[in-house]
Amino acid sequence: MNYQPVMGLEIHCELLTNSKVFCTCKNEFGGGANTRVCPRCSGMPGTLPLLNKGAVRLAAKAGFATNCTVNNYSAFDRKNYFYPDLPKAYQITQFESPICTDGYIDVTGGKRIRINRIHIEEDAGKLVHDDYEGISMADYNRCGVPLIEIVTEPDFRTIEEVQDFVIQIGQRLNYAGVCDAKMEQGSLRVDVNISLMPYGSDEFGTRAEIKNLNSVKSIGRAIAYEIQRQSEILDKGGKVLQETRRYNENHDDTKAMRSKEEAHDYRYFPEPDIPPVLFTDEEIDIIRREMPELPNQRFERYTKQYKIPEEDAKLILAEKAFSDFYDEAVNITPEYKLISNLMLGEISHQINETGTGITEVKFSPADVAKVAELAAKGTISKGSAKDIIAILFAEGGEPEAIAKKNGFIMSNDTSGLDAIIDEVLTANADAVEKYKAGNAKLFGFIMGQAIKACGKGANPGLIKQTLSEKLK
Amino acid sequence: MFDEKQTAHLADLSKLEFTPDELSKMTKDMTDIIALMDKVCDFDPAIKPYTLDSVDYEDLRKDNYKDSYPNEKILENANNTKNDSFVVPKVV
Amino acid sequence: MNLKELRNKLDNKEIGAVELAQDYLNRIKARDAAINSYITVCEEEAISQAKAAQAVIDAGESKPLTGIPLSIKDNICTNGVRTTCASRMLEDFIPPYDATAVAKLKSDGFVMLGKTNMDEFAMGGSSQTSYFGGPKNPYNTNCVTGGSSGGAAASVAAGLCAAALGSDTGGSVRQPSAFCGVTGLKPTYGAVSRWGLIAFASSLDQIGVIGNSAFDTGYVLNTIHGYDENDATSSGLSQGNYTELVGSDISKLKIGLTKEFLDGSSEEVRAAVLSAADFYKSLGCEIIECSLPSLEYAVSAYYLISSAEAAANLSRFDGIKYGYRSGLGEDYNDLIKNSRREGFGDEVKRRIMLGNYALCSGYYDAYYNNARRIRTQIRKEYAAIFEKCDVILTPTAPTTAYKIGEQENDPVKMYLADICTVTVNIAGLPAISTTCGYGSDSMPIGMSLTGKPFDEKTIIAVCDRFEREFIRRECAEL
Repeated sequence: MNYQPVMGLEIHCELLTNSKVFCTCKNEFGGGANTRVCPRCSGMPGTLPLLNKGAVRLAAKAGFATNCTVNNYSAFDRKNYFYPDLPKAYQITQFESPICTDGYIDVTGGKRIRINRIHIEEDAGKLVHDDYEGISMADYNRCGVPLIEIVTEPDFRTIEEVQDFVIQIGQRLNYAGVCDAKMEQGSLRVDVNISLMPYGSDEFGTRAEIKNLNSVKSIGRAIAYEIQRQSEILDKGGKVLQETRRYNENHDDTKAMRSKEEAHDYRYFPEPDIPPVLFTDEEIDIIRREMPELPNQRFERYTKQYKIPEEDAKLILAEKAFSDFYDEAVNITPEYKLISNLMLGEISHQINETGTGITEVKFSPADVAKVAELAAKGTISKGSAKDIIAILFAEGGEPEAIAKKNGFIMSNDTSGLDAIIDEVLTANADAVEKYKAGNAKLFGFIMGQAIKACGKGANPGLIKQTLSEKLK
Repeated sequence: MFDEKQTAHLADLSKLEFTPDELSKMTKDMTDIIALMDKVCDFDPAIKPYTLDSVDYEDLRKDNYKDSYPNEKILENANNTKNDSFVVPKVV
Repeated sequence: MNLKELRNKLDNKEIGAVELAQDYLNRIKARDAAINSYITVCEEEAISQAKAAQAVIDAGESKPLTGIPLSIKDNICTNGVRTTCASRMLEDFIPPYDATAVAKLKSDGFVMLGKTNMDEFAMGGSSQTSYFGGPKNPYNTNCVTGGSSGGAAASVAAGLCAAALGSDTGGSVRQPSAFCGVTGLKPTYGAVSRWGLIAFASSLDQIGVIGNSAFDTGYVLNTIHGYDENDATSSGLSQGNYTELVGSDISKLKIGLTKEFLDGSSEEVRAAVLSAADFYKSLGCEIIECSLPSLEYAVSAYYLISSAEAAANLSRFDGIKYGYRSGLGEDYNDLIKNSRREGFGDEVKRRIMLGNYALCSGYYDAYYNNARRIRTQIRKEYAAIFEKCDVILTPTAPTTAYKIGEQENDPVKMYLADICTVTVNIAGLPAISTTCGYGSDSMPIGMSLTGKPFDEKTIIAVCDRFEREFIRRECAEL
């Protein structure tokens, strides 16, 4: 039987603050074990948490990026459970009064996914397992790294909706400077709650939670597997267990995890060490005004105003730095399509070939704008524009000088052209004869020969015109 | 009302363990103590539970980092360390 | 001799800082075996601090506490000096940082004589739950010191320090001060930073001072109070200069006398407190009868809130990062359960169990949330009293110090004995306890003066006025 999947997401995002959320240790990825730890984040007795203003600010930005209400009042709670990666044996989080509530994002197909809440919490440490000795080693570097958790309503019905949502969240938070959203590094972690119900029903089934999804592709595969697994259980008249399952990429399946604590009772209560945070409307407004243009807004601009095809617009938007580069270039020379083609063509090609990021290239958006300008004015050919980009990529330089040096400037002088073309026609008399006899396809061949003979600076428009005259 | 099963459940939540004798003593103590605590159960639910006074966003700690503690200071009170980490027996 | 006079003696070179420290160390050696008020004596540190203090004094740069020998309760972290909370769990714990209060004393150049005995994790009113054996009352070594700062109060009473830092979560500075015949000040919540105070119940804990007089407690508070960026619940409202009203005219003050507190106390305690009220009346103070109707809920609310917070605060003790680690156990769960089972005493376990009970789903609203509602109500009732009164006079404890072994094993009886002190913590108010009489057992009787938030000055002055007239008895020869 076919079932309707019902899905909701819990997304944890590491915030791009300088310091940790409740202490002054540096917030950074990697490093030697327990080198970014202090008495506070390792939970030593007598220590107290100190809330980081920057984390609150970025959480508010995450709210603005997802159409949430940023609340004037938010408060912290303790979530109690024992696990060796959690040195205080409670996680400081926001339970009763989260910082952001009631947001949404529209996903592919125009469907609106509601966001229930965004709250601030602290990350836990990492355990390195030594299977040989049967021990684990606790490293608290990640303890106290600021997180937000974004919790959606169970509004998803297809894998595509989930994937589009996750991509959008990552992009929006990245654009807003909230999170670098690298799923493979764990700076954005997605848990999927999934249940099945018969089509037409409005009563949700029992849900399972899937963890350890480290790419958008994994999310799709894990959901597909889980739909299959739960369908089989329901088909046999069985019951889906409410449990947490871990996706295994190598086996492409999900397996039930042992729970963090046998007795599931987190005993939340208000955190007595952290006063609730009061945000005035003015303070909220100041943060709102700091919000940059978000990718969904840029998408509108690219497709509606610049008339860039949707697929191209998405490709440009995929990385903020890339899209920023594009914006700077079109700001100088409003050749939207031409610059889009250059960036998605030769520049992307070179980036992929060399592994150089757009922020590391030897040329500026102004250089690309200049190349586009030269091509648009007919000073160089579009083919030469590509060649110039390749040279800029390898060596840098000034586009016009490169064009001159390499003879890319197209000559508009017809004198001499006649003679060259006559030579070409003579040398290819055979083809000319067949063309005249009606084989129209041969024009391209003769044209190619003529361009070759004219050299790099040739203006293809002029050659075509002259050739057409002579072949009449 | 308060029985050994509940004591055992609380002990589990508390990560404590009791011998059978200790468990029955603790159950007796808890029964008496909770009888005293029951006093609060009929209190006026219309009153707002106490919370700490709020702090303004502007007064929160500025987002600057400082040096962390030397690794050996963090580890010096632990009874068992390896590779600059705290040794934990395997987590079942 | 109060601390100001001792200051002058040091500055006038009538006594040397090293000599003073050595005197105290000698007395500790001679007498502490009988009362067990110290867990750790810091002989070497004390002498070297005293030498440094003398150099500062010689340079004419002394601060109020330069060279003054104090004791520190053993739940207040001291960099490099073990801080045990009187628990096997922290028997060998050496903090790599100072509590802010200690850091402030150090910047004044004080001399730390040692760390004082207490109830394990400050949970108790007798100090008998200490893993290191309970302290004994200097007035009668068969009696308890009270608690949880029992060692601190005993160390002051027996002359084993000039003054002491304690902590007060539900009466832990005031009640042992009453039992040991000394003066104990619990400041307003937030007046002294909690950074470095090993948490029992975060929303109630407050570092306080035990001394020979109200003046001395204010004198030490002058150094340790103040907003601290390390403690988000500390307050900038605490103003300092806590002794400035001492000696001023208090005859215009209105003193509240709450019926409910007196009703629950023994005959002789009630009589002593009422005679103190008469004393104030004779000065011209107006005595106003007032009422705290929700007092009947206070003990239960206090134990629910403090135990809930304690359950979470003490969860970090798992044997892995610091503290006692059991040799038993194959896996994580075994290790943590065995470490906690062997590392914590019975009373601590009861509080953890109670706290988790109060927070459990299904019980949370009936217990924990109602306790929070009672907290709101008690604060309101205090605010109403302070519209009519400047200070409130109450007994500090319903009885005098009882015999060791008499009631510590009955938790409910122990909890009910906190009735006079817990509301002050629930409302976050300042209060000071001093001796106002002696019982038929010759043990000191304590009275408390409770003030408006951050108005420590007034209660210190009012307390001082009584102390000027009252003649304290010497404690027993040890």
